[in-house]
Amino acid sequence: MDNEFGDAFGQLLADRCTPEVVRRIERGESAEPLWRDLVESGFVDALVPEAQGGAGLSLHEVLPLVQACGYHALPVPFAETMAARAVLARAGRRWPVGAVTLDAIGDALPAEERRALHAALTTAQIAGAAARVLEMSIAHAQQRSQFGKPIGSFQAVQHQLSVMAEQACAARMAAQLSFASAGHLPDHTLAAMGKCVAGEAAAVIAAGSHAVHGAIGITAEFDLQLYTRRLLAWRVQAGSPSHWAMQVARQWWGGTHDRAIDFTLERLGAAQF
Amino acid sequence: MFDSLSLTRIPADDEALRQPVRAFLDEALKDVPPEVRARSWGGFDASFSRALGARGWIGLTLPKEYGGGGRSLYARFVLVEELLRAGAPVAAHWFADRQSAPHILKFGTPAQAQFYLPRICRGEAFFCIGMSEPGSGSDLASVRTRATRNDNGWRLDGQKIWTTNAHRSNYMIALVRTSGDAGSRQKGLSQVIVDLSLPGITIRPITDLTGDAHFCEVFFDGVQLGDDALIGAEGDGWNQVTSELAYERSGPERIYSSVVLLDEWLAYLRTQRAPSERSLALAGRVLSLSAVLRSLSVSVNGRLAEGHSPVVEAALVKDLGTTLEQFIPEAIADALGDDPDAALPDGLARTLQYVSQIAPAFSLRGGTREVLRGMIARGLGLR
Repeated sequence: MDNEFGDAFGQLLADRCTPEVVRRIERGESAEPLWRDLVESGFVDALVPEAQGGAGLSLHEVLPLVQACGYHALPVPFAETMAARAVLARAGRRWPVGAVTLDAIGDALPAEERRALHAALTTAQIAGAAARVLEMSIAHAQQRSQFGKPIGSFQAVQHQLSVMAEQACAARMAAQLSFASAGHLPDHTLAAMGKCVAGEAAAVIAAGSHAVHGAIGITAEFDLQLYTRRLLAWRVQAGSPSHWAMQVARQWWGGTHDRAIDFTLERLGAAQF
Repeated sequence: MFDSLSLTRIPADDEALRQPVRAFLDEALKDVPPEVRARSWGGFDASFSRALGARGWIGLTLPKEYGGGGRSLYARFVLVEELLRAGAPVAAHWFADRQSAPHILKFGTPAQAQFYLPRICRGEAFFCIGMSEPGSGSDLASVRTRATRNDNGWRLDGQKIWTTNAHRSNYMIALVRTSGDAGSRQKGLSQVIVDLSLPGITIRPITDLTGDAHFCEVFFDGVQLGDDALIGAEGDGWNQVTSELAYERSGPERIYSSVVLLDEWLAYLRTQRAPSERSLALAGRVLSLSAVLRSLSVSVNGRLAEGHSPVVEAALVKDLGTTLEQFIPEAIADALGDDPDAALPDGLARTLQYVSQIAPAFSLRGGTREVLRGMIARGLGLR
């Protein structure tokens, strides 16, 4: 699922969206310089058709970009702007200059599809932040010593990290399913399933990382909070796990499948990647 | 971290196997009650296995020269997924099909392959896996059962336990000590194929808490094995067993153990005019988790198909999978309690009872949850 776009964009964010920059923007300083860098990179038009000046990529191709937004705690709505421009371009409408939320889509997309799009974008950012938080937690467990050895050598700590790795893996697969579309919009059920699973994973990973980090992880000064605060917000943003579980259940209820696997296989069959 | 697990497509040729398998199973199992089908890959029926063998559905991935199907691991995934979905009684051939046959193909001599594989494919040679011993559970490297060289080959002494279906199998692939002692750990271990009809072998089934008897104690008292009993290289048993476990842990049977119960419950919900919101939310949650886990399982299968040995990935997906398998009976039991006056269909009640009772085994068999999490931690660089 990784690709050259993701690598280039990830490098850009590693350079320009450092924890220091994230903090400054959160304190109220202008995000304009960061946004200008992102716009100049051209990635914000990745989903706009080539005929309209974009890169004409499909949703599954931009997944690494959106994951990178989560991985770097990008404090500007890059993913939302990218998605809004894709929708507006296809509706033959002009898009506003600058960063926007999905509200900019207006009536160019039915509300239900907009919610699924929002859910998919959030799921991918959860997957990105989950990977970051897991890396930080492993590094901390290897470096922090107590009782004369690294805390990562204690089985109780190892098992917490293993559970976090499992959940990060589940969130990553949830994101891949959510973005498994050859167009610019996700499949509704796959986005619903993805957000349900990733939303739950977000909470487990945030809690586990704080358990591993101890008191230092609770401080404003330590970078962990930049990602765990977002993980917890993203769990709720664009619909909670229960909300999306109900969406999946209604689709099952409205269908005729006798068996769970048949429903799952049919919906997984919609994946394009 | 585990970036290797990516969304993977099952090739259309392999996916095409689903319909004929499904049609066969729908007919073969139409009168089997759900609490029996819930035994899933624990259900033993030798004639059913032979019927599958007759259709070419055992040893699907083995070379045709040995009676196999010459198909890919993706085709086998589809086949296995359908067998599990239906709750087919596959235990008789399950272990040979999943790991013993590929193991013999990989590590055995051409003569061993020629001797065992065609009969495995016909459903005529059933295998069990001799790993655990009374003193060696999670600490498998401490096994004491010993094979000692003599003029006729090997003399086998010792004891295995928790060996699934030993009393109904023809052969065991046993992990034994061929040099050193229990303190030598991974060194000095080898694998031998034991014909379970030989003199000196005593097999006692152990009844489980549901009343079934699938696992056994197996005693070896001076059992004479031939020279050709050794599989692979002497002293290489630990490496061989580790590679075998990637097959044992990676399959879809680690996510579908509760699927018959799930289907019974969903069918029960369908009989209601308006299921509770809570029940629907639970159904949606389980379906979502299943979709993600199934995608992960296909992806591990893809890694195997590409020739990798995804030991850590398999451990990770197995732990996630068995967690879901155990969550399903617990959550369904709770959701059914929404209406204390509701009369449950007998089949659903019995299936729930069986799966709830056996569910603790899901995270014991094939490596405990704690062992798997230790393996994942090693994969993370923590050990």
